[in-house]
Amino acid sequence: MASLSSKSLQEISDLLDEYGIKHGPVVETTRNLYVKKLKEAMTKGKKAKPSSDKTFYREEEEEVTYVYRTPTRSDISGDGGAYMRSRPEWTEREYEHETSYSSYSKPRPEYRGSDLVDEPYMYDTPSTYKNSYSKITAMKSEQQVPKAQKSSRLVPLWLQLLFFLALAAFLYLVFSNMEINESIKGIM
Amino acid sequence: MPMMTLQFDLLRGGLCKLSRWISDTAMSSTSQKHKEFVAEPMGEKPVMALAGIGEVLGKKLEEHGFDKAYVVLGQFLVLKKDEELFRDWLKDTCGANAKQQRDCYGCLKEWCDAFL
Repeated sequence: MASLSSKSLQEISDLLDEYGIKHGPVVETTRNLYVKKLKEAMTKGKKAKPSSDKTFYREEEEEVTYVYRTPTRSDISGDGGAYMRSRPEWTEREYEHETSYSSYSKPRPEYRGSDLVDEPYMYDTPSTYKNSYSKITAMKSEQQVPKAQKSSRLVPLWLQLLFFLALAAFLYLVFSNMEINESIKGIM
Repeated sequence: MPMMTLQFDLLRGGLCKLSRWISDTAMSSTSQKHKEFVAEPMGEKPVMALAGIGEVLGKKLEEHGFDKAYVVLGQFLVLKKDEELFRDWLKDTCGANAKQQRDCYGCLKEWCDAFL
């Protein structure tokens, strides 16, 4: 392993791209951080070289269909291949979803046809793939927005609204019971 | 009646205080330091004015050359305002713990949302 500390800033930037690590500009102040990240990535044994492409694809056939199916996701990383390779755990999870996704897509036209008809043999499949669909969307939205934070409220929202309405009603009462005189007319 | 204008002013003032109290209690708590920092442009504030950065961390940051809050802001921006990268950098540079990292990141992010 070539010494990372002797590499130029541009070389470190290229290495980060190869490992699919999201990064900003590599400057003197960020250099150490990125070198550390590269060392972590290297020790984890993530394959970054393009020559290992074939071995990875042979391991999981579904990988190929996944890359074709959602090009946008690989576009986000800028290098679909590296992105796949650097996150094998994540793609394995997606693999399950992809199989259920493909199985869900097939019965869909049938479901549409018999939407209004209450047929007993169709009753099971909508519920099952509704579950898997909601699971997929929940997982996908979770992964797409992993950093979204739930806003915690100490005072529940409905209570705030109720309070606000009560206050508005009170103010209206006060206003309507006012005796209008010259000075108020000047302001209003 | 002339007294009504005074009552209206009191009502208006009271309403402002009330709305601020509601937002404070309803949202997740932020420290006084955070609130003061995000309320105005940071100017030449020292690095210890940042939420999450106390005396100890502030000294360490200063040793690394980050002597003003705007220099840390610079680093935050160079890291593309990314939470994970910034928190990792903060941990590596001054040894901030998770809460301190979170507070500092939140403080800078909110400042950027308001002023950048």
